[in-house]
Amino acid sequence: MLQYLVILLDDTSVAYCHADNPLKKRNLIPVETLKKGIIFGMKQNLMIQYVFPDYELPKEYVDVLESIDNIKIYPINHKSHVLIEEDNVSDVEVADFIPEKVESKNLVLRLKFSEILAKKDEISKLFGNDFRLNICITDVEKFTDKDIIKYQELLKYWNAILLNLYKESKTPQINILTDRMLLDKMHNCDAGVNNITLAPNGKFYLCPAFYYDEKTTVFNQLNHHKPSSDNSVGDLENGLNIPNPELLKLDHAPLCRNCDAYQCRRCIWLNRKLTWDNNTPSHQQCIMSHIERNASRDLLNKIREIGEFMPEIDIKEISYLDPFDVRKEF
Amino acid sequence: MLKIKDNQDAWQSGMAKNITFIVTKDCQLACKYCYLVGKNVKERMSFDVAKTFIDYVLDHETDPDFAYESVVWDFIGGEPFLEIGLIDKICDYIKTELFRRNHHWFNSYRFSFSTNGINYHEKAVQDFIKKNRNHISIGITIDGTEKKHDLNRVYKITEKGSYKDVVKNIPLWLEQFPGGGTKVTISSADIPYIKESVLHLYSLGIHEVNINVVFEDVWQEGDDLRFEEQLMQLADSIIDGGFYQDYACSFFSEHIGKPMDPKHDNQNWCGAGKMLSVDAAGNLYPCTRFAQYSLRDKEAWIIGNIKDGIDKNRLRPFLTLDRTTQSPQKCIECEVASGCAWCQGENFDAAQTHTVFERATAICKMHKARVRANNYYWNKLYRKLELEDLREQYEANKREVKPEIC
Amino acid sequence: MKKLVGQVTPEEKNEIQALFERRNGLNELAKILSADNTELYEKLVKDMGETGTKFQGWWDRMSAKYQWESAENGNWEINFETNEIYLVV
Repeated sequence: MLQYLVILLDDTSVAYCHADNPLKKRNLIPVETLKKGIIFGMKQNLMIQYVFPDYELPKEYVDVLESIDNIKIYPINHKSHVLIEEDNVSDVEVADFIPEKVESKNLVLRLKFSEILAKKDEISKLFGNDFRLNICITDVEKFTDKDIIKYQELLKYWNAILLNLYKESKTPQINILTDRMLLDKMHNCDAGVNNITLAPNGKFYLCPAFYYDEKTTVFNQLNHHKPSSDNSVGDLENGLNIPNPELLKLDHAPLCRNCDAYQCRRCIWLNRKLTWDNNTPSHQQCIMSHIERNASRDLLNKIREIGEFMPEIDIKEISYLDPFDVRKEF
Repeated sequence: MLKIKDNQDAWQSGMAKNITFIVTKDCQLACKYCYLVGKNVKERMSFDVAKTFIDYVLDHETDPDFAYESVVWDFIGGEPFLEIGLIDKICDYIKTELFRRNHHWFNSYRFSFSTNGINYHEKAVQDFIKKNRNHISIGITIDGTEKKHDLNRVYKITEKGSYKDVVKNIPLWLEQFPGGGTKVTISSADIPYIKESVLHLYSLGIHEVNINVVFEDVWQEGDDLRFEEQLMQLADSIIDGGFYQDYACSFFSEHIGKPMDPKHDNQNWCGAGKMLSVDAAGNLYPCTRFAQYSLRDKEAWIIGNIKDGIDKNRLRPFLTLDRTTQSPQKCIECEVASGCAWCQGENFDAAQTHTVFERATAICKMHKARVRANNYYWNKLYRKLELEDLREQYEANKREVKPEIC
Repeated sequence: MKKLVGQVTPEEKNEIQALFERRNGLNELAKILSADNTELYEKLVKDMGETGTKFQGWWDRMSAKYQWESAENGNWEINFETNEIYLVV
């Protein structure tokens, strides 16, 4: 069921997930489109998430933006542009470098895998703070089997730091290491299922990345009955029209529905890009998520040596990193 | 002893890797039902492309994608025998390399061809057959009576029917391949000719007639009832004429028309993804139906090329496909689901999105009609056998028919 | 005339089927390999000899094991689908 409406306020709104935003030319959402989007969200009972660009919006937008309860996703160091009067604990700052100061309760840190390896100590300094850290690797497609050990060792290294924080009675939240310890079912991105994106052109997309791709025509054919570069799944005039909506759901993803790497983003944009089918994850996404899952298991076991912790959670020992390799056993 | 002829399983079915060379996209014919929308005379495979591809395949003997006991090297077109010189060279190279490399497929390989039969008699084709006699299977496509055949299978440009040029080669083919079967494709306009066509093929000496209705959405209101009526007439003729003893027609099978368990009968019908095809440009496909010349509305699903190899991510959807995930609820709950086929390529081409997980159901009514006629066939046949006190003998000697997968 | 005289196990069938296939493969390869290709030609000749020996060895072993009925000027045949052995006179 849809719960969130993501509104891209500009073509250059900050990228906050796996996909980079290649759009460099400003294209602000018309205020009338914004108003219609908000009304759509109100009528559908959706929580609005605004995605901000790195410049200050015209004054006439402020009242419109604040006409509804909302969550703000904005580039770090640009809080003043967002015109936040009261902090919302759900607001999200996005950085593609390691920031010195984080003002919100949520930070998305977007880096390439090699950057993460190189800056593991700097990143670990963010762990002990009172915000949630979402680490987002922006070049998943380049991850190879040769990187497996590097990633395992990195997470092991970070686990030791996290364990000390737990010993100090802190509760750090690092998506790739601590989320799985708290989950007993899949908690994925669910683009097109629990959230949908409205772009400045007044059309809906499964997520911002599909809009970027349409604008740059990297790949198309999400819906071949439309012009081939059109990735949209409806518009404000006619409402949502998601083709094959069931194929976005967990029960229609043969590999994922049997998987217990519950913290996986299960990014359908990456699926589409790498396997060419929305419901099938790539080898890279599967092994990275399983390395994280296994590291979470190790961390959970270590924490339990200190004291009772999430007794209802059971992360089993498994022999594979890619569920594709054991698909016949499902 | 009562002998009942039934469909034979394909050679090493399930244990053989199917590797297909699209040697040409040219054909003498322009069949009206042909799904190859992009046929042309330009895209002919070079030997270099074929050789690089063979080397790639044989270099990966231990890769799970190639870990099959046996191999079937398929040659298709267009019309493959237009490129008999190239094919001969390719087959010589395959044999030599399998032997030189001590590859385990040297003990278990076949060369397979689907041809329109027009140049079957020519010296180059005949020399090739003699040279590789123990490793060849050839299917000639003939659609039935002259009228039915020429309704669809016409020469390009002149639109002249090709029946006479094909039928003259049937005796030679059957002499060389006595168990040879033919493939008949039924489209809307062909329905009135089904019975006479099958019987005609039997009269030509073809004992195995594999028929299927086209998967594309071409069916008109009432076609299912006309189809059912034709099949019942055919059933009468086969049973009353005693043809069931020595001849087979794939329309009639004891295994179709049953409900299917969503858990235990959940395997994919189609072999796409387990097969591998290469075209003249050296692009690789999960099946030829995903090459551009086979697709109306979608771009080709290329899984790699002969230089860089297979991008395994692009094979993952095919290798994780199951029946229920791709089927609409009406198919999952269908009381007569078994034997209802699909083509993954047509599913992809007709899908609303870029996916192989959306099953096309254009043949739904046709399958149900087939099931009704099939039930009639078996009830009638078994009653006849009982009355003649031959049922037990039949049950003891009958061969199990597995559903054919492509 | 063909008479059913016995049956072998699936494993035994697989062994002779592989040898049968190999022999056919070698015979067809012999049609295209010339003596100029010394290395491969010699390998082929050697393999043909070895395969022929193994082939005959299988029939000798099996006939001794199962004591199939035989006849003067008769041959045994195997049906690869049923694993049955026939005496053909």
